[in-house]
Amino acid sequence: MYDVSYARVNAVPAAVDAFSKGDDPKYIAGGQTLIPTMKARLAAPSELVDVSRIEDLIGICEDGDVVIVGASTTHAAVNADALMNQRIPSVSALAGQIGDPMVRHRGTMGGSVANNDPSADYPAAVLALGATVRTDRRDILADDFFVDMFETALEEDELVTAIAFPVPKRAAYAKFPNPASRYAMVGVMVAELADGAIRVAVTGAGSSGVFRWTAAEKALAGSMDAQALDGLSVDADDMLEDLHGSGEYRAHLISVMTRRAVLAL
Amino acid sequence: MTHVVHRPHPHDSGPLHVTGTAPYVDDLPTPANALHACFGLAPVGHATIDTLDLSAVWAAPGVVDVVTAADIPGENNAGPVIHDEPLLADGTILFPGQALFCVFAETRLAARKAARLFTLESTELPALTTVDEAVEAHSFLHGPLVFERGDVSKAIEDADYSSSSRLYIGGQEHFYLEGQGSLALPSADGLHIISSTQHPSEIQDLVAEALNISAAEVTVEVRRMGGAFGGKETQAAPLSIIAALGANRTGRAVRFRLDRDDDFVLTGKRHDFRADIRVGFDASGLIKGVDGILASRCGYGHDLSRAINDRAMFHADNAYFYPALELTSLRAKTHTVSNTAFRGFGGPQGMMLAERLVDKVAAAVHRDPLDVRLANLYNETDRSVTPYGMTIEDNVLPQLMPQLAETSDYRARRAAIIDANASAGRSPVRRGIALTPVRFGISFTTSFLNQAGALINIYKDGSILLNHGGTEMGQGLFVKVAQVAAEVLGVGLDDVKISSTRTDKVPNTSATAASSGSDLNGWAAKLAALELRNRLTAFWCAEQGIDGGLTFAQGRVSTEDGQSWPFAEVVRAAYMGRVSLSATGYYRTPKIDWDAKTGQGRPFLYFAYGAAVSEVEIDTLTGANRVIRADILHDVGRSLNPDIDHGQIEGGFVQGMGWLTMEELVYSARGDVLTHAPSTYKIPCASDRPDVLNIDLFDNANAEDTIFKSKAVGEPPLMLAISVHSALAHAVSSFSPRGRWPDLDAPATAEEILRTIATERTQAL
Repeated sequence: MYDVSYARVNAVPAAVDAFSKGDDPKYIAGGQTLIPTMKARLAAPSELVDVSRIEDLIGICEDGDVVIVGASTTHAAVNADALMNQRIPSVSALAGQIGDPMVRHRGTMGGSVANNDPSADYPAAVLALGATVRTDRRDILADDFFVDMFETALEEDELVTAIAFPVPKRAAYAKFPNPASRYAMVGVMVAELADGAIRVAVTGAGSSGVFRWTAAEKALAGSMDAQALDGLSVDADDMLEDLHGSGEYRAHLISVMTRRAVLAL
Repeated sequence: MTHVVHRPHPHDSGPLHVTGTAPYVDDLPTPANALHACFGLAPVGHATIDTLDLSAVWAAPGVVDVVTAADIPGENNAGPVIHDEPLLADGTILFPGQALFCVFAETRLAARKAARLFTLESTELPALTTVDEAVEAHSFLHGPLVFERGDVSKAIEDADYSSSSRLYIGGQEHFYLEGQGSLALPSADGLHIISSTQHPSEIQDLVAEALNISAAEVTVEVRRMGGAFGGKETQAAPLSIIAALGANRTGRAVRFRLDRDDDFVLTGKRHDFRADIRVGFDASGLIKGVDGILASRCGYGHDLSRAINDRAMFHADNAYFYPALELTSLRAKTHTVSNTAFRGFGGPQGMMLAERLVDKVAAAVHRDPLDVRLANLYNETDRSVTPYGMTIEDNVLPQLMPQLAETSDYRARRAAIIDANASAGRSPVRRGIALTPVRFGISFTTSFLNQAGALINIYKDGSILLNHGGTEMGQGLFVKVAQVAAEVLGVGLDDVKISSTRTDKVPNTSATAASSGSDLNGWAAKLAALELRNRLTAFWCAEQGIDGGLTFAQGRVSTEDGQSWPFAEVVRAAYMGRVSLSATGYYRTPKIDWDAKTGQGRPFLYFAYGAAVSEVEIDTLTGANRVIRADILHDVGRSLNPDIDHGQIEGGFVQGMGWLTMEELVYSARGDVLTHAPSTYKIPCASDRPDVLNIDLFDNANAEDTIFKSKAVGEPPLMLAISVHSALAHAVSSFSPRGRWPDLDAPATAEEILRTIATERTQAL
């Protein structure tokens, strides 16, 4: 690793302040993506501001029909949390499928959402459930948050503090993992929200990162049944294509995993 | 009756393995002033080197020495047979990632950092990457090998039916847990090299050639490897030679260990193959003629490719008699890493051709593939001569296969699976089942390699030191050979001290390869032990006035009439009586006689046999698949150690399953290996092992005079996993029109299975 200075902070204002004083700073929480990226010389921040121990950012609570997850809450904690298991079991189940036990005990929801890896699992949940990403300065709706792969609406120094999930009527996540890395080759979250709206969000496959499959949403709004998806497919040209799979294969898997998510509702 | 062999004994290093205390090369204490080495790797593929500027490398902190091809005093070569594999690139870059130079620095990190600081100017040259490209361009390492019998064209034309197909078979990364590593220690008497190698004697020779010194000045030692699988037969040499060079230049010890990504990029893999198959057969499925072409990607250099492709040819019939045949082997030269030995050594790829063609035939004549397999087996009368002219005398498959079919309940399960698939309706799950045999030739196909030596010292206290030319890579060779020595000398296994393999103890050894480790070294140790036993017997009989012989068993030396003495007492007396208590044993495999020029002869002393039934489940919407049950019946002759053999069978099967289902090597268009870490290259893990895995040893004695009538077990079980691939194709065939067998390639990844299902569905329309 190149030289980097490290500061652990215990409050959000201190984090933003430390960030503002850096030359080329980065926030770090679990570091499950950032540290390997730095090792591979794909990122070389001069300062790391560690937000993983800020108590205000850790934990899960509810506010009426909204479940709020602190940004520094680990995947393992989301997976095990009693409230989340009761209110939005699809999200706790999703968290249990991320990476491996080591990743799940270090990686955080805020870090994953801010990084917006095109193969990460959480973006599908955030987008499908119409969650709100809370930061140190504002609330950003999921539909406005994810811009392109590894790109979000966050300002350079903006810190995610929490993700607020409205409790849906029902939701389910179906994932086809890459056999080696366990990243999503395709992951689909299907949700029926409290107001009856249907949302389908797809991760792992889109060449611009997570996206909503609106044609499927319309079809399922008519009838929440896997057969409503017959004849629908996404355009393979818009899909990622790499050593793990072709665009056609990913497009095909989207149809299959969407059906499976519907069946699992 | 035996006391030590034919019984289960744990691996001698088992307690060390499970407690993490078994030392490997990189665990040995580093001498205080040791240097660390790192290669600088070519960032381009096939190219001419215009300039290579190493000034920044030299200037980097901690750098003590930097070497290029010009700094090698002797031969710049790591090629074991044909000297066409440069240690360091010389003028031309032959494949992406080739080593350009080597840095020696005070720390490993300093060496690794410095190795990236070079500036290369190069001119890219056209590159051939795949088998298809190389065959199209007629780029071959050497001429083809052809086996012919009868008029194959006529035989196929005259047959009732014929079938043509093409099968791609992927390569495989060894993924030994312990990566390549070496430690070179200079001394006033020469060089002592500790290497993670299957072939110490070859490293000794190559070091001597590269440094212009005599082999007698080089000692190569290996105590154990953390897995090798053929990947350390020749591929350990470059590290050891370069470490030796650094030690020689600086007078300091040199430690060299490859990073895993570099290991993937730099070292050869299992050859990937393309098999073209044409077969003629009658309405019962009896094969009349086979026309097959096996083309493999050898990479830029020879390495062991000639022998590997020869072995593919020796197994392109697997267990079946081809009355008329033409089999052709094409050895494609590409601008990719030079491929190498991997458990099975080309045999598995050859067998894939045979098993695919039998499945094709069975589908075409609407018969259970098992019946077609049984009908086409070699017999010991009119259908017993292989394509290379060797008569098979020990075939047990006609008994072994039906026995396995019975114990695994194959026929009833197959019927149930076909019914379930037919009535699956909208369920995406389909199952498949297959029983495939293995007939694997045992001996090095390069005949002169079939020799081995052993050294046994008995010390005055009666303790025994055993040394031989074989290397331990986790397979259990050392405990097996120790069992042999203990059996012959009539002592307990614990009384035989196992020692590291060293070229200064037993010289001119062959690689521990070709499954031959215990066959060769076991016999050599037996001969050494017999020599010592004979000396002790002669001495003690004279000393005690005994007529007749002595028996050595359970730590005692006994006469026929019941007198007996402790072994140690006899040894002590023999020393006092001035009897030499050190002996060597030397063994060479009898009967083998193979002429590579004519393609005829007896390359093998005998065959190892086995069969497996695998049942698989596929998700026909995603292609996801798993093996749910496997039943194996395998012939290890009279097992030297049934526990060790069970472990080899299980490990071989799972490794073969990985090769054929999930391990996928992906290359860029110019030949870079893109899958060079566990994050992108998937090997089977504990959860991929079938939940039900029944392994039994077939009751048999080796027909040949092998060590205690045992059979080799290292490689043959890997090919039992061909049953998994065949079962996957069977599951896919539930979508095929009647009479068709799907062209499922290997590895049968999820995407490949889905592609094949789509093809079969189209065919069915």
